[in-house]
Amino acid sequence: MAGIGPLLAPAAILLLLLAVLASLRRGVLTLDELNTDTAAAMTLILVATGETIVILRGGIDLSVGGMLSLATAIAATRGAAGPFEMAGWAALILAVGGGVGMLNGALISTLELQPFLVTLATWSIVGGTALIVLPSEGGAVPGWWVDAGAGTLFGLSLAVWSLAALLLWWAWFRRTRVALSIRAAGSNERSAFLSGVALGRSNVAAYGLSGLFAALGGLFLTSQTGSGSPTVGNDFVLPAVAAVVIGGTVLSGGRGGLVGSALGAFILTIIGNVVFVLHISSYWQPVVAGLILVLSVLATSLSDLAMARRDAAL
Amino acid sequence: MALLQATGITKRFGGIVALNGVAFAAEAGEVHAVLGENGAGKSTFIQILSGAIAADDGTLSLRDRPFRPANPREAERAGIAPVFQELSLVPDLSVAENIWFRRERRTWLRTIDRRDLLRRTARLLGELGLTRIAPDRVVRHLSVAERQMVEIAKALAADPDILILDEATSALPPQEVDWLLAIARRRADAGKLVLYISHRLAEVRRVADRVTVLRNGETVGTRSTSSLSDDEIVTMMLGRRLDRLYPERSTTRTERIALQVVGLTVGHRLQGVDLSLHEGEILGVAGLQGHGQRELFLALFGAARSRGRISVWGRDVAIRDPHHALSSGIGMALLPEDRRLQGLLLSKSVRENLILAILPRISRHGLLDLKREGTLVAEAVRRLQVKVSSPEQLAGTLSGGNQQKVVLAKLLATQAKILLFYDPTRGVDVGTKAEIFVLMRDLAAQGYAILFYSTDLPELTHLADRVAVLSYGRVAAVLEGDAIDEEAILHATLGERQAAA
Repeated sequence: MAGIGPLLAPAAILLLLLAVLASLRRGVLTLDELNTDTAAAMTLILVATGETIVILRGGIDLSVGGMLSLATAIAATRGAAGPFEMAGWAALILAVGGGVGMLNGALISTLELQPFLVTLATWSIVGGTALIVLPSEGGAVPGWWVDAGAGTLFGLSLAVWSLAALLLWWAWFRRTRVALSIRAAGSNERSAFLSGVALGRSNVAAYGLSGLFAALGGLFLTSQTGSGSPTVGNDFVLPAVAAVVIGGTVLSGGRGGLVGSALGAFILTIIGNVVFVLHISSYWQPVVAGLILVLSVLATSLSDLAMARRDAAL
Repeated sequence: MALLQATGITKRFGGIVALNGVAFAAEAGEVHAVLGENGAGKSTFIQILSGAIAADDGTLSLRDRPFRPANPREAERAGIAPVFQELSLVPDLSVAENIWFRRERRTWLRTIDRRDLLRRTARLLGELGLTRIAPDRVVRHLSVAERQMVEIAKALAADPDILILDEATSALPPQEVDWLLAIARRRADAGKLVLYISHRLAEVRRVADRVTVLRNGETVGTRSTSSLSDDEIVTMMLGRRLDRLYPERSTTRTERIALQVVGLTVGHRLQGVDLSLHEGEILGVAGLQGHGQRELFLALFGAARSRGRISVWGRDVAIRDPHHALSSGIGMALLPEDRRLQGLLLSKSVRENLILAILPRISRHGLLDLKREGTLVAEAVRRLQVKVSSPEQLAGTLSGGNQQKVVLAKLLATQAKILLFYDPTRGVDVGTKAEIFVLMRDLAAQGYAILFYSTDLPELTHLADRVAVLSYGRVAAVLEGDAIDEEAILHATLGERQAAA
């Protein structure tokens, strides 16, 4: 039952960036802009969705990088597939994503290993597999797949519809018992255990969802680029964590949610646009992103501090 | 036949035998106290009953059927609801989410029915007389006492056949203790079993029908409470007679003022408090929960922002933070309320806990002087008679009383001369209590100045040279000598202004 408090900072930053953008260039507050920006942010949003769930559980998932790459690599070797065959491959890709994720969760719980190390290892394994499937950038997904990715329905792009569906799913998911168990276990494992949470199962669920969403992100990405890349996912790992943190989710677990992470992903995406419109070197983009990350962490800890002051817990 | 029966229950942790063939039987419709010193095995026994850990050997039976809970959920399904000493509430969930955790009603979409959850919580809290706790508050923001009450409400929400109260009153102020004892009695009268674990004999006497005493992991015996005197109970627990709980009354107070506070104000909870603490004195602080004692201790330790004047050994100081308070310039150390959270690093060894506060004293050129460290640690362990297998034992594996001794040893190692004791005997057994009291008197005699808050009034009346009673954030009275008695303190806590400070 998190209030909207933690969302204020990322929402304000996003509005500020949009305001800067709107003052420099026309057409910012249009449907077209919404369609393009969402398409640009959607892959990151999907990866960040899984990352949010894992971080709520008190963990971290680096393997999403490998999984995203593998998803694009498999899809890009299926250029001739018809819709039914492609649906089968998509299902396989999602199953692999979910499966690898569940394996992550199982390893972490049963062997009591650090999430960082386990997912670092699976990142490498899955990323390597992607290179075996597709040794270099390229390949092709079916043409109709790309058309769907560029198409619109009632003036809104596939990305916007996907985002709407994702938010709807989240509105449902966060109220489920699974989500509550994940949040509880991330907040304090010991007390969650004493309250009856099956810690292992909540890990399997969280990492499984994370793998699934990374694979989904890969599928979405191929609908935009039309091709695959065995290394593209690596560029999404840390930005996904950054998006989650900028969105106000606490790295130690238990507190936060998808809406903030989506805002964070939009912020990271739009910084690129702002830097572009300002006609400064694009190398400034990571600098600005880093500054915003620091500001967000500061905002979260300041509001925590204010709370702590108020409660003055001895 | 007994509702709950245990025979030959044995549990080892590494080389330490925590339980050695414990036998136990309890009937429906009774409040059954389980007593024992620190390390006697009470907590281990309770944890086995509630599925938190598994026994190595022995059999449990519930309603004449074998019972072997593999996890807390199985125990819960069998009708056992424990209120743990170690709080089991999840800090980031709301009161309602915590109470009905995994028992929520769900909508047709399989989502948790939030409105039903809040409604049921409000009803439950209402029935228990806890209306001041809002169902949607996040547990992280509740006080320790409020958390304890929510924990109790959570256990009762399941309407369990067996309610286990493990030191449940140690975090509660007096009026809530009465509240809990009444609940325990009511459940027993309704034909349920209540297992009551407490160090406070007075409470056990008030509420328990029978007591079972454990010592060193073995059952000493089960008796009806009315057939035993306090002395007999203590003798059963210790295996020997305890001469007395409180040390001989003596005052070592000098004229020298160690700590003087004028007009100390913290938020709206502490409103202009004047106090003076002398060298060699134990100054008691009394007050109902939330009347400013917590803020007073936090402010003195630099952990809460305050206004007003503080002077230490005649010198005005502005205490910036706990590190500053501990520094040689001020020399003030706090023994905090929740030792598991603030006083100890549970996953670190006893040695590491002890040296943390005194790193500068045992390092040379930025490197640890291992020889000096060894000497200081051994000395601290010996001085307080901490029961450890070795200084490398993890603090988290010690019993409550021994953990408290480690926290105390840590404080003394800092060489602070002004000690702030905030409820130091919470969850500590009689034997250790007596040791702590003797130690406090010793420290005072050595010239330490001790500010001492306790939720247990007899402790204040027996130990303190003077008692300052806080009421609504002000000093309502300062009692001295023969004027210190429980009745006078209670009168003053209710806000009846007596002698000025």
